[in-house]
Amino acid sequence: MAWLHTWAGLVFGWLLFAIFLTGTLSYFKNEISQWTQPEIVPHKVTAADSVNRAQHWLQDNAGDAKRWFIILPDERSPQLGVSWIPAKGRFQDKTLDSLTGAPVQARESMGGEFFYRFHFQLQMPYPWGRWLASIAAMVMFVALISGIITHKKIFKEFFTFRPRKGQRTWLDGHNAVAVLVLPFHLMITYSSLVIFMTMTMVMPVSILTTYGTQTQAFFDDLFPAFKTTVPAAERMPLAAIAPMLDIAADKWPGSRIGLITVNNPGSANASVTLARHGADQIPHEPGTALMFDGVTGALKEQSTMNAASLLLAGGIYGLHMGHFAGPLLRWLYFLAGIGGTAMIATGLVIWLGKRKLKHARAGVLPFELRLVEMLNVASMSGLMLAVVSFFWANRLLPVSLAGRSDWEVKVFFYVWGAALLHAFVRVFFRDGRSAWREQLCLAAFLYCTLPVLDMATAGSYLWASLKQGYMTLAALDLTALATGIFLAWGAMRFRGEKNVVIASTSSALPEAR
Amino acid sequence: MEAASVSHPASEKRPKPGKRGAAVSPRWRLAVASRVAAAVIGGYLLASLSSICLAQFLPLPRAEAVVLSMTLSFLVYLPAVLWCFACRTAWRAWWGLLLPSAVLGAVYATARWLL
Amino acid sequence: MLLAALLCYVGFTALCLSMSRHYADLLGGSLSTGRSRGLKAIGWGALLLSLWVAMASLSIGQALVQWFAALMSSAVLLVFVMPYWPRLALSLAGIGALLVPVAACLQLLA
Repeated sequence: MAWLHTWAGLVFGWLLFAIFLTGTLSYFKNEISQWTQPEIVPHKVTAADSVNRAQHWLQDNAGDAKRWFIILPDERSPQLGVSWIPAKGRFQDKTLDSLTGAPVQARESMGGEFFYRFHFQLQMPYPWGRWLASIAAMVMFVALISGIITHKKIFKEFFTFRPRKGQRTWLDGHNAVAVLVLPFHLMITYSSLVIFMTMTMVMPVSILTTYGTQTQAFFDDLFPAFKTTVPAAERMPLAAIAPMLDIAADKWPGSRIGLITVNNPGSANASVTLARHGADQIPHEPGTALMFDGVTGALKEQSTMNAASLLLAGGIYGLHMGHFAGPLLRWLYFLAGIGGTAMIATGLVIWLGKRKLKHARAGVLPFELRLVEMLNVASMSGLMLAVVSFFWANRLLPVSLAGRSDWEVKVFFYVWGAALLHAFVRVFFRDGRSAWREQLCLAAFLYCTLPVLDMATAGSYLWASLKQGYMTLAALDLTALATGIFLAWGAMRFRGEKNVVIASTSSALPEAR
Repeated sequence: MEAASVSHPASEKRPKPGKRGAAVSPRWRLAVASRVAAAVIGGYLLASLSSICLAQFLPLPRAEAVVLSMTLSFLVYLPAVLWCFACRTAWRAWWGLLLPSAVLGAVYATARWLL
Repeated sequence: MLLAALLCYVGFTALCLSMSRHYADLLGGSLSTGRSRGLKAIGWGALLLSLWVAMASLSIGQALVQWFAALMSSAVLLVFVMPYWPRLALSLAGIGALLVPVAACLQLLA
């Protein structure tokens, strides 16, 4: 069982570190997007006004579309999002200013969405990335449970953390972040499998044996309000959507509206479906919706997802996403995610550290261990470098550069690739310590100076937001600074040459100070 | 903390690491690969069949039964994987998964044929 | 949730103290079986009470989520503060215990 935990953890650890880190960042993806597009400023607008502006814009610019989608601004996302499926062609979207109803003039950037999508698609072509991520999720589950089974002293050592004792400290740390945050880790891992299952990926057999070839019937059973219909030939103007929000407020007291879907706008059988805002309840409830007649504006159907099995799956889904979390709970989600990331990181370090001790007497590590060391450096400090580079690119790339948001992503991957190369050169031609030290130093510098960069390149937005009382931009800068300080502390521990004691009586090395 | 040697899948003895020049035997490697294959393929098979049977037999409307069966299937996959590495031999890993799978498959097939 | 969180921290500290190794590190001296049992009772009692308190003020879903969050946060806080600042770890438990009635009143009045 320990063998399983150790090897599953190693082989998938590098990938899982990346998944956990980007997933943790995703809890603040809306805030990251605010930082990467500081031109979009929050306005105090009512939902009715926002929806009117969205409707007018869509009417003027996508009047013949098959479907419209409207996402209203909220306290974490200041923009008014509209998207549509044109009569011919692919899905399109636009970001509108909630006050003017006109498209925003902001630098093009994926923002937090980049980390979110990477987290479950891994930047690989559809569907391979998702498959790899789902396999990683299953391996994570196995590694967690096998780790619990192996940790025989789980209760005795529940409160044990002994610093300054080398390998023992690393193991105590690994156990501490694993066991003390275990409810979160178990929830995150199992819920990720459930989410992949809802994408009908990992366990589709029961759909097939129950519904045969009519898989669409499965979705219609689950989400009756979202059935697509063929547009009627007759054209009729679409009713105003704003009054529908009032009816919804009556049917769903205390809930805001999240997604507004208009089917066949401008057609005689147009319909408008309203769904609740994701942050107003814990479970993900795609089956709970209000359907309105698109021409008369009357409420036609109210569906509520109240089946226990669906609420179970939806609840598990919602726990993973954490949409419902307010500011304090969201920070706790973030910290728990950091804990999970640290659990994987400490595991990778321990795996190598234990085997390095065995090769202490020989001056040179065998090839496999150096390979592991290189991958450790590249996947951990390398990824930290890549993440901060994304933010640096966002501030430094010219606003009018074509394909700007693709370039931000390219910078992320080029830096990660460069970190891998650097790690290779250092680990194989000098030693692992210099690889860690140099990458952590550079990362510390970039994180610590991100606030300075922000003030220098986008300071006007920063001061404006603070004057209005919005802390998001400053909070991200401060978090970057804190991260930089932590990385600097890490880099310090690799300073100086390793004290290699080759003597017949000693067998253990003094650890990195 | 346990001693330097890592524990191994039961009964297939791995030569103690640190023994200079003693490579891991091909037989051991094959056994491990077999267990991994059993876990990945056999585990998925067992989990899928459990999901199919649950969807068939749960007294719920179709869509709900399917969703619940999928949600619970991972609780089958996990012990299946753990079994593959806890049992005494690689053969047992396979039998321990294929046999229940066959039973579930037979139960499902009979139910479909009868109903 | 403040009350529940305080109770979690106090509970974990009590459970920690009920182990002779940690008792010796934090308070010095040896731990008698009776005292250990007493501390375990206080510890588990406080944790269970915190769960009950959490459920009393929120819907079950929200209550469980926030309770687990409080549970994990207080455990992490205790375990990482303890080896560096043991007196601080204990003082926090002491202050927490004192604030419990205050937090209880706040929750009842809210």
